[in-house]
This record gives sequence, C-alpha cells and structure tokens, in this order.
Amino acid sequence: MSGMGTGRLLRRLLYPRWLRSGRVALGLLVVVAMLALALLAPALAPHDPAAQDLTLTLQPVRLGSAFPLGTDGLGRCVLSRLLHGARLALWVAVAAAFGAMLLGSALAYAGGYLGGRTDWLIGRTVDAWTLFPPVVLALILLVGLGAGSTHLVLAIILAEWPRVCRVLCCEVRKGMRRDHVAAARLLGFPHWRTLLLEVVPATVPRLLTLLALEMGSAVVMAAILGVIGLGVTPDQAAWGQMIADGRAVIHQAPANLLAPAAAIVITVAGFNLLGEGLRRTLEPRPVGGRQ
Amino acid sequence: MAGISRRVLLGVPLAAGLPADAARAWAGGDDGVTIGWPSDVPSWDPNRRFVPDAQPIFKMVYDQPLDQDPRLNLVPSLIARWQLAPDARSLELELRDDVVFHDGTPMRSADLRWTFFGRIAAGHRVDTAHAWRMVSDIETPSATRAIMRFNSPAPTAPAWLAFLGSFVVPRDYMRKVGLAAFGARPVGSGPYRLAEYQPRARIVLERNDSYWGPKPALRRVTVEIMRDTATRAAAVQSGQVDLTISVPVREVERLARMPALAAELNPIARVILLQVRDDGGFADRDIRLAAHHAIDKKALSQAFYGAAAVPLSLPAPPDPQAHPDDFTFASDPNLAIQLLARSGHSAANPARIRMATTKGQFPADYDIARAIVAMWRQVGIAAELEVIDYARYFELNRANRLPEATLYAFDNATGDPEAYGGYLLNPNLPFSPWKDVALGRKATGLFDMADAAERLAGWQALNREAVEIGACIPLLQSVQTLVRRKALAYRPYGNGWVLPQTMEWV
Amino acid sequence: MTLLAALARRLLVVPPILLMASLLLFISVRVLPADPAGMSLPPTASADAIAAARRQMGLDRPLAAQYAIWLGRLVAGDLGRSVHLRRPVTALLAAAVPATIELAGLAMALAAGLGLAGGLLLFALRGEAAEMLADAGTTLLMSVPDFLWALLFILVFGVLLEAMPFTGRLGPALLQPGGTGFLLLDSLLAGDIAAFRSAARHMVLPAAALGIAFAPPIMRVLHASLIDVYCADHIRQARLRGLSPTRVLLCHALPNTARPVLKLMAVQFGLLLGGALLVEEIFAYPGMGALLVDALRNADLPVIQAVALAYCAVVLGIRALVAGLRLALDPRLRAR
Repeated sequence: MSGMGTGRLLRRLLYPRWLRSGRVALGLLVVVAMLALALLAPALAPHDPAAQDLTLTLQPVRLGSAFPLGTDGLGRCVLSRLLHGARLALWVAVAAAFGAMLLGSALAYAGGYLGGRTDWLIGRTVDAWTLFPPVVLALILLVGLGAGSTHLVLAIILAEWPRVCRVLCCEVRKGMRRDHVAAARLLGFPHWRTLLLEVVPATVPRLLTLLALEMGSAVVMAAILGVIGLGVTPDQAAWGQMIADGRAVIHQAPANLLAPAAAIVITVAGFNLLGEGLRRTLEPRPVGGRQ
Repeated sequence: MAGISRRVLLGVPLAAGLPADAARAWAGGDDGVTIGWPSDVPSWDPNRRFVPDAQPIFKMVYDQPLDQDPRLNLVPSLIARWQLAPDARSLELELRDDVVFHDGTPMRSADLRWTFFGRIAAGHRVDTAHAWRMVSDIETPSATRAIMRFNSPAPTAPAWLAFLGSFVVPRDYMRKVGLAAFGARPVGSGPYRLAEYQPRARIVLERNDSYWGPKPALRRVTVEIMRDTATRAAAVQSGQVDLTISVPVREVERLARMPALAAELNPIARVILLQVRDDGGFADRDIRLAAHHAIDKKALSQAFYGAAAVPLSLPAPPDPQAHPDDFTFASDPNLAIQLLARSGHSAANPARIRMATTKGQFPADYDIARAIVAMWRQVGIAAELEVIDYARYFELNRANRLPEATLYAFDNATGDPEAYGGYLLNPNLPFSPWKDVALGRKATGLFDMADAAERLAGWQALNREAVEIGACIPLLQSVQTLVRRKALAYRPYGNGWVLPQTMEWV
Repeated sequence: MTLLAALARRLLVVPPILLMASLLLFISVRVLPADPAGMSLPPTASADAIAAARRQMGLDRPLAAQYAIWLGRLVAGDLGRSVHLRRPVTALLAAAVPATIELAGLAMALAAGLGLAGGLLLFALRGEAAEMLADAGTTLLMSVPDFLWALLFILVFGVLLEAMPFTGRLGPALLQPGGTGFLLLDSLLAGDIAAFRSAARHMVLPAAALGIAFAPPIMRVLHASLIDVYCADHIRQARLRGLSPTRVLLCHALPNTARPVLKLMAVQFGLLLGGALLVEEIFAYPGMGALLVDALRNADLPVIQAVALAYCAVVLGIRALVAGLRLALDPRLRAR
C-alpha cells in the first residue's frame, strides 16, 4: 500500500473489485436492509411499540395475525418493538462509531504527526484509558449521565475511542516515516495540507474497516447496557431491554427473547462481514502457504 | 390484632395434585434445605436496617421478644408474659430464663435493655432508634423482668416487639467485640447459627442444637442470593434450590405443572401502592386524582397476578376492619381526562412527572410500573420512569428527592392499621414522601390515642381522607409467589414469612 | 540489555499511566448524581450529620482538593466502606476479585484452546473451498456476544437437560474452603475434592460462554500470522529441506505466532473482563462484575471506584505478565 493520493483512492473506491468481494456485498446487503427497516419502522410496524393491551399479554407467534411475532408481558407488539429497536440500535451504532472514529482518529493524527511529547501523552492516555474494560467505563459514565439515547452514544464514544486511536496511531506513524511526507514537511507545506493530502489518505482503508467493526461493537455494547437496565429509558424500545424482558417469559413466549437476539446477531454479523471484506479488499495481505 | 382475614391465609391453590417425585435427591440433602432468596441481609446487625425481606433470615439467627403465629396473633417468644399499662405509657415484660445465646451466655433483661434502649442511647446508628424513640428507660428489676417506660403513649409497643428490627442482641458480646466484629461473627439466640457468609452470594446456617424452643427439623440451611427472578425460577425448576419466592406469576403457573414442584400464590399482609408527593408535578390535587382514576387495578391484577391480588381503594389490606365496604375509588379514564382538562392538560399537552419503581423486589413490580406509565400516557400524564433499589427509597426520601410517584410495597407484618396509614402518611417518618403537615398532624394525633376502638375509627377516616385528596394511590394487595419441591413442607404466614425452622421433608 | 533491565524500563511508564487512570476514574465517578455523604448514614440522619460527613469527605472543597484527598486515601490503601453493604470495601474485593480472575482465566484458557484449534483448522483448509465456509463461520461466531451464549447455555444445559449448575460458585451443602478466594486452588489445598468438583462444574457454563465468544479473534490472528510466517524465509527453507509439514508447522511456524497471539490475548483480556460483567450477572456468579452492577444500581460510590480500580489493576497485571512473557520469548524486543 504505497503512496495513494485522494484521486487514486476515489478511483479505487469506485472500482468494482471493491464490491465484488462476497463479504462486502453480503455485509452491505444486511446493513442496508437493517437500515431500511430502521428508517421505515414507523411505516412498517403494525402497532405503536409502546401501546399495551393487558388483556393480550404473551400472545404466540402467528404470522399474518395482528401480532406476527406475538406480544410481550405487557401486551405490546414484539415485531413493532423489534423494528423500533432497530432504529435505536442503528442510530447508536452509526453515531457512536463515527464519534469514536472522529475522536480517536483526530488524536491519532495529532499524536502521529506532531510526535514527541504530544505523541507520548496521547499514547499514555490511551494506555490508561484502556485499563478500564469499555463496558465498565460506559456503565460508570451512564449512571452519571442518566439514561437516553444521546447519553448512550456519548458513553460508548468515550469508552471506545482509545481502541480506534491505538490502531490508527500505528498507521499514522508508519505513514509519517514515508519519504514524501518528510519531503512535504521539509518543503514547508502547511501542516493541515500535509496531514490531509499525505497522511490521512493512507489510513482511509483502515479507517473504513474500523468504522464497520466499531458499529458492530456499538450494537453489542448498547445491548449489554440495555440488558443490565442502564442506558435506555424503560419505555424505549431497545433490543437489550427486550432481551432482559424476554428472559423472564422464555417459556411462555420464546419469541420475546429469540427475536431481539437474532436481530443483534444478524446486525453484528452484517457489520463484521462488511469490515472483514473491506479489510481484505482494501488492505490485501500476503497469502502464504500453498502457492 | 387478629385483623387478617381467612382469605389471606387460604391463598389460591394452584399446585396440580400430582404425587411427589421421590426419585430425585433434594438440593440440600435430606437434612438440609437450599433456598433461593431475592436479597442479601443489609448487615448482620439485626437492629440496624428495616428490610422486610431480610426478616426471615434474621429470624433464624436471632429471636424477637414476641413472635407472631401464622394468623399474625402475637404469641410469647423470649417474653413469656407482657402487660401494657392502661395509659399505654409503660409495658411490663417477663422474660424466659432458659434462653442461651450462641456463645453460651444466658439471655437476661440487661440484653433486652441494651437492645431497645442502651445501644440507642450509646449512639449506635440503628433504625430501631427511630422505632423506639419514645422509650425513656427500661427498668430491669430482675434478670427476667423488665419494664419499658415511654414518654408518650405507645399502644402498639407489643406489636413492635414482634416487628421489623426488634431482635434481641447479646449486650456483653457486642460490647466486647465491637460492632464490626459483631457484623462478621454475629451471635444471637435463634434456632440456627451462621456457618458461612459470602456477601451477596450465599448464607449457610447450621442448626443450634441447644435452642430453647422447638428444634428445627433441618440441620443445615443454605440461602442462595439470586436477585434475578428468571434465575430463581430456573434454579428451582432444575433442582438447584428447593424453595424460592417472588418469581413471576406466570412462572408459578408453569412450574405448578411440574410433578415434583408445588407452586403457590399467597396474598399477604402487604399493600402495593404509589407513594406520592404533594409538590412538583403533583402539586395540583386534580392531577393526583386523575393519576389515580386512570389506573385500571383490575387489569393489573389480571395481567400480573392471575387476578389473585385484590384491588384496593384504601391503603390497607382487604380486611373489613381497615377497609370498610362503603368506599371504593373508581377506575375511570374518562374522569381522569376531565380532571386533567381542568388543569389544562391533555394527551397532546401532558402533565409531566417522574416515577420510581423497584425491579425484582416483589413479583412484577417493574411490569406494573411500566403498565401504569402506559395507562397514564393515554389520559395525558407523561411519566419518566426510573428504577431504584428498595433501600434507596429511604435515602432519597430523606434528601426529599423522591419523584412525584413511587411504586412501593409496604410491608406490615403486624397487621395493625397504624403501621399502614400512620407510617405511610406521617411526614415525620422515613416512609412518607407526603410532606403536608395537616395530614401528618392528624396521623401523629392518632399515634398517641390509647383507646383502641377510637384509634381504629380514626385510622379509617384518615386513610379515606388521604385517598380522597390524592395523598396516596393504593393499588393491590401484595401476593407472595412461592415455588418449592412438593416434598418440602413449610408453615405459611399471613405476612409472607418463610421460615426454614418450620420446614421439613415429608 | 538484560531481561530485568528491559522490564524495569517498561515499568517506568506505569506510574504516570496509573495517575491518569485515577484522574479519569475520579472524573467519571464525580459525574454521578448521588450524594456520597448522605448515602453513608441511616435514613434518619440529621442534616447536621450529613453536613459533617460532607466536610470530612472534602465535598465542600474545590474538585482539585477533593481529588487530592481522594488520591491520598487511595495511596494509603484506604478504599473506604460500602455505604450500601456497610462493609469494608477491601473485604468485598477480596471475595470478588479472585472469583472473577478465576473465571476469566479459565475462559481465556478455553478461548486460547479453541482459538488454537480453530486457527490451525482454518490454516489447514487454506486455499480450499471449505476455507470460505470456515471463515464465514468464524465471522458468524464472532457476531454472537458472550451474554447470548450464556443465556443459551442456561436454557439448554441448565434448564432443559439439567446437566449443569448455573448459579453461584458452589453447590449447596458444601462449605467454601477458606484461603485465597480462588475456589479451585483453595479446595485442592484443603483436599476437598467434592468442593473442587462442584466449583469446577459451576464454572463450566460461564467460562464456556466467555471462551466461545473470545475464541474467534484468536483463530483469526493465529491463521493470519501462520500465513505470514509461511512466507518467511526460514520456513521456506525448512519446507525445502523436506521436513514433514506437521513438523514445520509445530516446530517452526507455530512458535513464531506466539508473539502476535499473546499480544492479542493481552488486549482481549480487558474486553473479556468487560464481557464477564454481564455473564456474572446472568449466572449470579459473585465476582467483580456482579459487585459493580449492584453498586451502580445503588450509587455506592466507594464500591464503584474500588471495583473500577481493581479492574485497572487486573488489566495492568495481565499486561505486565504478557510483556514479560514476550520479552522472555523474544530477545530482540529487549533492545528496543
């Protein structure tokens, strides 16, 4: 992966080989489908996700009925909650991943580019931050911030950025060692120009891969926090919360647990496939062994 | 005192009449039992904190001066005889002389004095300091006689001797080792002694073979702390525990069909209600009354208790004494909408309040809270729900930071009406978030009334007034769910006590 | 440079990292809305008593001063008392930390075993059609979070088959042997085989849930590094010398993958501890995760910060261990 300008990168991004990877195509398909379901949830959902009917609790799965996936313990439509849960899950995934990416990459570029003490300080901050398991940090922050999707996103960003930063720091340092970057600095180009034109483009493939994988882990993180009962307000339709509720009625209406569990696995698999595929096509590795 | 109706004790039998599965070994072995319990003890100092769910565990290690029989009548325990003065300003007690603490020292009147007066005067931070605040002294003319003196009439003092936190602790041992060491190695006079304690995880107790009272049938009791209702249900189903309580009612119905298990729904002397504030979003009486009218209590009972929980109109169990038939509070969403309209609120422009609930403290608490929030949304009250721990209720109330409404199960093991309205509505006590003094003054006045009939009439009127001004939103009589191996017999109590010393394998 | 000197040089950065971690923790916990002074007293405490407690904890002073007080107490080893459980925090940690380390260690060993097997399988299948399938399998495996495995295992092995216990650490009618708090170790030291068996059986399901969830990344990295290693000259030469493929794999290639795999495992361990939090909660396993969740629900400040610090210490310890291992395995690293 030697020097790659923006123009060349663009060409490469649009080049069909990129999409011909089965993983990328499948991952993209899943993610786009999920996004569509999430965006269209208000139109697709047969009921208001919060509407309860205490006389119709724990209805079984009956496709074609008013409640295709049955109802939960409060008589709410499982399918509608699943669809509206997708809205929350994908919003958190996209917002938290981009947020973590912005924060993490900004610090990585700053550290890698400026080097010296700044780099050391950022590196040690990342070291200190990653001493806390991300879930632990997010939990502590959430209790302070209070429930709500914005707070959830914020907590996940603050817990996840060091992972992004750490990976990118390596990339940036590698990039900085290249000749034309050194030349650009010697020629006295403004810092932002060197960064934007010489350093950043080389890290874009890794950035895209990380973004997809981070979205997957944000979905899982939000689910974990939901199961514990923190992060979302009790009346919000969220997959983690549905799992927590579904556990208690697994024998009466298993769809309450299975549906959100499947939704999580499918969504995360979509993001993982996408990330994996991007990594393989954008950052080819040597294939050793049996040539 | 005999205020609990038969209905409470008979319960609703759900268990299918199949023979016990004798082929299987019990979790606790044939001279032991394992119990899945929802919460840990707050500490091993039994006077320290009032936590109803810890009461049965304390009753294994410690004894109360008086006990209650399954119908909640007061019966002798450490105290053989008691006599309340006609003016209710003193209480004469005669103690048993054959009681021995686990460390071998005999229980004397000095220990009783220490528990209810001495350690409070010594400044120990115990909740009993509040319950026994009216004790001016305890005289101990002999080792087996004591006279409690009160600085205001205390007609319910005998009932309190069998109530929350009233456990006799050994004075000399506690003084010798100090509070911290006492918490680590508790010594009581109860039928079991503590053998192992893993905080938040398990409590293992061994039978006290020199117990003064009836010997328990089971040698060892293991209490597994399982906070999650689904875990408790799964654990009793798979035989990891022999008995558990507070599982969801639908799980009770399912587990009742298992041949080896017996599952019960027992209405008990607890009331589920919304504790409300008189300020913030609930400053307007019409909004409070609308909040009450909007709740369909029958639907709640139907959906979460299989209709076994009696809907309540007053903050007391469905007992003719405390709950006269001529008063009912209507469930009427339309009336609620009209009341809200008077204050300028509608579904489009809702009244905004906050609400708190516990989760897993009693069956379906969190579900009930969410269902109420949804009912309110229909009429024009937008409530923001938060989950709090049972113990935090008191902390938040002290800081005057409880939200407008809190879902709460008030435990009244005594069955005395005072413990309902009097504590729920008295602003001077840690239970009530209602801070308006007018109602509180009436409640305090009733506390000091020595005449029983007059007091009862007073409490009835107070409860009714509280509901009419929206100072209290009673919901349902609490139902205890219990699942056990069919071969494990236990003695059910009207207040929901589940005591391992009454258990045996049959 | 000797091994010790290299290690010592690396340890130099530990104090500033710890200082930063403590600052981060202090800021995080002080965002909490609870009043730490009010929470340490019984319900009937007076306003004066609460005010006195606030002064004692320095809550009326500026944040910087509060941090200094707080840090000073931590350095002195004073973690305080749990305001909810009313016990010294050190006692709570002494019970919870070994439980979690034991569980996480077992889970990591399981993940490493599964990762080794899966990585070798993936490598053996390289270039074949089955590789695609196996690879897709690992992606799918990676997409199932640990807590879903936990729920599945409880349902299948706990409730349906009734084959395995799924709550707590020890069966009933067994007393916990005293000692280190590491139940497997303690029961062996005490010669209590029944307790050892019971403790091991209680750990099977939670450790398996965590192990399966954390194995796929190890498979991936092992697979990738084996492919890298096979491109290296000395492996080519070994293969050209006609050594058997198994021998090349086990004696020449595999040892060379230890470094990236160990590095990954060090990073994974932190994540695994995070995953263990909810898994412990699901299995009612009395470890750090369950303790923390409980404390968070009750806004029990001393416990929250102590458990968070304990997480830091465990992760730091694992990092140091792995760094030491890597230094020992690879002398080239010592020079850097």
